Amino acid sequence: MSDSPFIALQKLNSYYGSRQILHEIECTIPRRKITVIMGISGCGKSTLLRHLIGLKPTEAGEMSIEGKDVGTFDESDMRAYRMRMGVLFQGGALFNSLTVAQNVATPLKVHTRLADSTIAIMAAIKLHLVGLTGAADRMPSQLSGGMRKRAGLARALAMDPEILFVDEPSSGLDPITAAGLDDLILELRETLGMTIVVVTHELESAFRIADQMIVMDAGKILVAGAPEEIKSNRDPRVVQFLERRADERRTEDESYMASLLGGRKVECEIEE
Amino acid sequence: MLVDLIRSLGRYGLSQISFLGRMGIFFYHMVRGLARAPRKFWPTMRQVLFIGSKSLFVISFTAVFTGMVLGLQGYYTLSRFGAKGMLGAAVALSLIRELGPALAAIMVTGRAGSAMCAEIGIMRIEEQIDALECMAVDPHAYLITPRLLASLIAIPLLTAIFDVVGIFGGYLVGVALLGTNPGAFITGMEKTVEWNDVHMGIVKSLIFSVLVIWICTYKGYFTGVDKGYFGPEEVSRATTEAVVLASVAILVSDYAVTSIML
Repeated sequence: MSDSPFIALQKLNSYYGSRQILHEIECTIPRRKITVIMGISGCGKSTLLRHLIGLKPTEAGEMSIEGKDVGTFDESDMRAYRMRMGVLFQGGALFNSLTVAQNVATPLKVHTRLADSTIAIMAAIKLHLVGLTGAADRMPSQLSGGMRKRAGLARALAMDPEILFVDEPSSGLDPITAAGLDDLILELRETLGMTIVVVTHELESAFRIADQMIVMDAGKILVAGAPEEIKSNRDPRVVQFLERRADERRTEDESYMASLLGGRKVECEIEE
Repeated sequence: MLVDLIRSLGRYGLSQISFLGRMGIFFYHMVRGLARAPRKFWPTMRQVLFIGSKSLFVISFTAVFTGMVLGLQGYYTLSRFGAKGMLGAAVALSLIRELGPALAAIMVTGRAGSAMCAEIGIMRIEEQIDALECMAVDPHAYLITPRLLASLIAIPLLTAIFDVVGIFGGYLVGVALLGTNPGAFITGMEKTVEWNDVHMGIVKSLIFSVLVIWICTYKGYFTGVDKGYFGPEEVSRATTEAVVLASVAILVSDYAVTSIML
């Protein structure tokens, strides 16, 4: 069991209405490792994350957690899975009406019968872990972007999860704060042996923390493997992504004009 | 052309069926939340403060003027038939059976229901509801049920206050301003108003409490979900729809309950 993957996806397809977002996704999330899911905006990585955290039901294909198909999960199975995971959302998703400490204490209050004083100490420990000791009594609106993410991370860690999902930890942060978050993610894997899944499009951060990488494009997995394998991959799209080259402009002037005119052809004569 | 019309009608019909089905499932989750963790005493008390105590001024203000208008209209109508002595009964019955429950619920919809819808809608667009689900916290039990319990406590009490203040407003105009006999006003009210009338008012206020919370929290909870777009304008749209739909639902159900209970 210890070497088997925590999560395995087989031929996962995902849709929003009639629009297909993910195509035949096959990958595994290994235990006690950091898996980074990368790709350009709109490639489907956030949708994949929503499947992994159980917010989007599996419509076609299979997702199994420790060998058990999520499609067969009833409400209590899903609840048990969620009790084992922590999620840091892109914007932190802190409850605006609660202080930072109350935010961190929320899962403990709901799921445990601990005394309020014990919960307060546990929340303070988690806030200390993410370097937010002095911000316990502040409201989320009084925090900077980086502090909100760290507070969100403290809340995600409140129940000591086995698996942590992190959505875009570095986006919108200055390089120093982003590096601090990366260090924290590495520390969590090393000290607590946590399985961590990070969704990002920040290359520097991704190569710094990843044990395994999954590169996506247009709803498909382009390549998956160790960071060195990704770096040495010669797939043109992967190379383009890693070299941060923009797509070439393919639009012909005529078809561009036609698209502006609702599909009508443009006919004009140029007098010389 | 005709095919397009049929197609759009069909699409509209399907969306309405889907809307009703989802509302039904939401109602089931809302009621089921009563029996589920998390602990609800203090969250419910906070909502009682928000729905009840903080609506007191607007309810009293509306009530006193509603009563005054009833007193004024009632006086001139009844005086045509030489029945000015029945003014107290007319004001009290109108308020206790109809206007008290309906107007109190509509005022709560405008003040607290819209705020609830906006608050929950913002929680939706900022992924806070997703965060609750990921923490294995039932969002219905955590967000909706305390509001439902609070409205079942607060709205009937606000309705009772509306009735009393409204009758005072009617007394003010009918007796102090227009000179109706105060004894006739009070006695007429005492002799006419029966337990059945009060009972009808209580039943209506309880039904309206459920409707206000059901519709307003539903609209907030599913803000942007249909379009798959979670922007601020979706919150404003959901809030407007919630207030309009809840107000209409109150008036329609008012007629239905009256026709059943009369």
